[in-house]
Amino acid sequence: MKRNLFVLLSLLVLASLVLAACGGGAEAPAEETAPEATEAPAEEAPAAEEPAADFVGNSLMAADCDSTGIIKGVEATGQYEVTFTLCQPDPAFLSKIAFSVYGIYPEEWIAATAGDGTRTSEGLEAPVGTGPYMLSEWNRGESITFTANPNYWGETPAADTLVFRWSSESAARLLELQSGTVDGIDNVGPADFDVVRDDANLSLNERPALNVFYLGMTNTFAPFDNQDVRQAIAKGIDRQRIVDTFYPAGSEVASHFTPCSIPGGCEGDDWYDFDAAAAREQLAAAGFPDGFSTKIYYRDVVRSYLPQVSNVAQDIQAQLKENLNIDAEIVVMESGAFIEESTAGRLDGIYLLGWGADYPHPTNFLDYHFGEANPQFGVQSPTYFEPIAAAAQIADPAESAPLYAEANNALKEFVPMIPVAHGGSGTAYRADVTNQQASPLGNENFSLMDPGGRDVYVWMQNAEPISLFCADESDGESLRACEQVVEALYAYETNGTAAVPALAEVCEPNASLDVWTCTLRQGVTFHDGSTFDANDVVATFTMGLDASSPLHAGNTNAWEYYDYLWGLMNKPSE
Amino acid sequence: MANEEEKIATLDAEGLTLQSTSLWQITWRRLFRRRSAVVGMIILAILTFIALTAQWLAPYGFDEVLIGVEDVKARELPCIHLLGCPAEKPQHLAGIDGNVRDQFSRLLYGARLSLMVGFSTVTFAIIIGTALGALAGYFGGWWDNIIMRFMDVLLAFPSLLLAIAIVTVLGPGLINALLAIGIVSIPAYARVMRASVLTVREMEYVSATRALGGSNMQILFLRILPNALTPLIVQGTLGIASAILDAAALSFLGLGAQPPTPEWGSMLGAERNQVFTAPHLVFYPGFMIMLTVLSFNLIGDGLRDALDPRLAHSS
Repeated sequence: MKRNLFVLLSLLVLASLVLAACGGGAEAPAEETAPEATEAPAEEAPAAEEPAADFVGNSLMAADCDSTGIIKGVEATGQYEVTFTLCQPDPAFLSKIAFSVYGIYPEEWIAATAGDGTRTSEGLEAPVGTGPYMLSEWNRGESITFTANPNYWGETPAADTLVFRWSSESAARLLELQSGTVDGIDNVGPADFDVVRDDANLSLNERPALNVFYLGMTNTFAPFDNQDVRQAIAKGIDRQRIVDTFYPAGSEVASHFTPCSIPGGCEGDDWYDFDAAAAREQLAAAGFPDGFSTKIYYRDVVRSYLPQVSNVAQDIQAQLKENLNIDAEIVVMESGAFIEESTAGRLDGIYLLGWGADYPHPTNFLDYHFGEANPQFGVQSPTYFEPIAAAAQIADPAESAPLYAEANNALKEFVPMIPVAHGGSGTAYRADVTNQQASPLGNENFSLMDPGGRDVYVWMQNAEPISLFCADESDGESLRACEQVVEALYAYETNGTAAVPALAEVCEPNASLDVWTCTLRQGVTFHDGSTFDANDVVATFTMGLDASSPLHAGNTNAWEYYDYLWGLMNKPSE
Repeated sequence: MANEEEKIATLDAEGLTLQSTSLWQITWRRLFRRRSAVVGMIILAILTFIALTAQWLAPYGFDEVLIGVEDVKARELPCIHLLGCPAEKPQHLAGIDGNVRDQFSRLLYGARLSLMVGFSTVTFAIIIGTALGALAGYFGGWWDNIIMRFMDVLLAFPSLLLAIAIVTVLGPGLINALLAIGIVSIPAYARVMRASVLTVREMEYVSATRALGGSNMQILFLRILPNALTPLIVQGTLGIASAILDAAALSFLGLGAQPPTPEWGSMLGAERNQVFTAPHLVFYPGFMIMLTVLSFNLIGDGLRDALDPRLAHSS
């Protein structure tokens, strides 16, 4: 008896310790600074067709443009009308707003799952949206199951059940597809393209190379603080050889950071040609005639921009040794840790990273990576971040072209990174799946595909989503799962990159492109039964943009896309 | 007494010739009579030869990238002239690996690593394990309790898991992997040693040495250790096999040898996704690991039988 009591007591002590350890950290003063902005005076909504007698439109409005990024305010100017006021003209507004990270959640759900500093586990794992599929179960480590949304405003999904599975091994994915246990797989291994082509039961869909693989260098670490060293490495790596040997057909050597298939992407001079002798000379002149020792960091995960990670890393290691006598040690890191360390600029060597387009505009590539605030390459140079920032405000591609040319030439001069390749990749499906997709942006829409009349559609991708609260995620494997459940105001066309209306019927700008008015779709309901209206949009953007709002609670609270593409509002001063 | 019986057996067989034969001579002779052990020794001899002469045997360097040097593609199938591969193509006995290097050369260099891994970890573990086991067995009491309980703790973890944990702390790399495997295999030797010491300690000749005024060190090293050696030899030979396997497993997981080191386990791991499209890249390293482990196991088994006096008649 005594013994039992003792055990019980020690268990209790242990449990309280664990609780204290987990819950203690988040003591952010969330309550005291409820922004007055969100509680705007009740504005008389202009009467819509619906008898919206007691609709009270909310709004989010920054005090001035100094305390926010691009978006100054989001207002519900009617039950089905939202107005975005911008601090600067944004020609890419529609392309950006269509990105699934800005998917709309119900107002009540946002508040209910806001948690204390970070979103509750329900918020992270059971999103509520308006999409064609509803989340039914997430079996951690196993699979995610979705069921068709019977009240979907668009076309009802062909398969009643959608299952997401994952495997990091391309051989395993292909094997599952061949044995018929899955209907579609992502990222066919580069060596397996022909296997899929030759199999009558399967069909291959090549995905355009809207991505870039680059070698990052952080210029706050020696010897990468020396521009000549960076230039020497850029000249001393044979990128053609890497693409020829390790990439599937449809890939190309990167002439610029932004792929040329993106309008305005490759203005300015082409990247350095491979020249080992010149590279060695330049390295010697910079004070390293015998090379130096460094590290090559990467994460062992397959992405479409880098289909054979360890082979490429080893080849770069061999090339650095052969061409520049640089001894590089290969360091493999865990994916999450690698992203965290590399994007924060804490890796003291060369790191292998890439980027897949979210929307087809140079801003998606250049502004994200080479904005003044991004520490991933160390100290950014004004020679490129100034023209990039200026170009982002210009709608006319012809007018912004010289600025992008200037920026790209400055990037070539400064070498914060070495763009290597735009990698082709592909999806494969069983031959009887209709409307097969290989989206250049990686957002395949499964509700439009009919898996040969079967009730269950099984999709296998590279990795398990990190969370399903995609407003605060940047991982493509997570976003694809979210896109089935949550919709944004616009969406990208199937297999394409053009923005098409989704939850908004239309968004129209004023003449100076700094006020966008969106008319929302009516009669749309969320999966929890609530009706979609303008206040849901305002609440979603308050959650994402307003750093002082108690709703601004995410997974890691990095809010990368809200921050880098729009700029957060009321950021706490550092 | 086993030795007596053996002598009588020899007398019978050789017609009353009596000559003194040492334990090692007898063991050696018995070992050669076992066919499986001989096979094991032949394989090991070949592997040792390969390891020693890899730089002359290998047609290419283990890190020599053939892009632009020869007209070969990544993961090309083996090209063996004897088997009908056209003579104008360069010969690659085991094909080309994912980084366009000659797989055969890498396999040869890999023998060096694997044998080095096996011998060094087991030597490390035997030295430490024997010392600990001897201390525990000879002095008993507190020594015994503390040392053997610590060994029990080490044994309580699955060995590979513990090795992974150690490598995670020390950081990946071949040397750290060796250290981890060495540490993990200490308890086996400590236990074997302690058990032998416990039996030998009570023998009359040990008491005699003690009565003659021999110091603890003299008794331990000159009287007890030589007589407790046989089980250690068997355990050690079999231990090399498992050490090689563990090292290959660690390298497969990316925790052991780092690229471009041609370690068989890491070669296997690097190409695991191409098992259907380029099976030769997975088959050969696996086959080499199998051969090496098999040779040590055969020798170990043979040694155990040869060193066991109770099996004297059957051999």
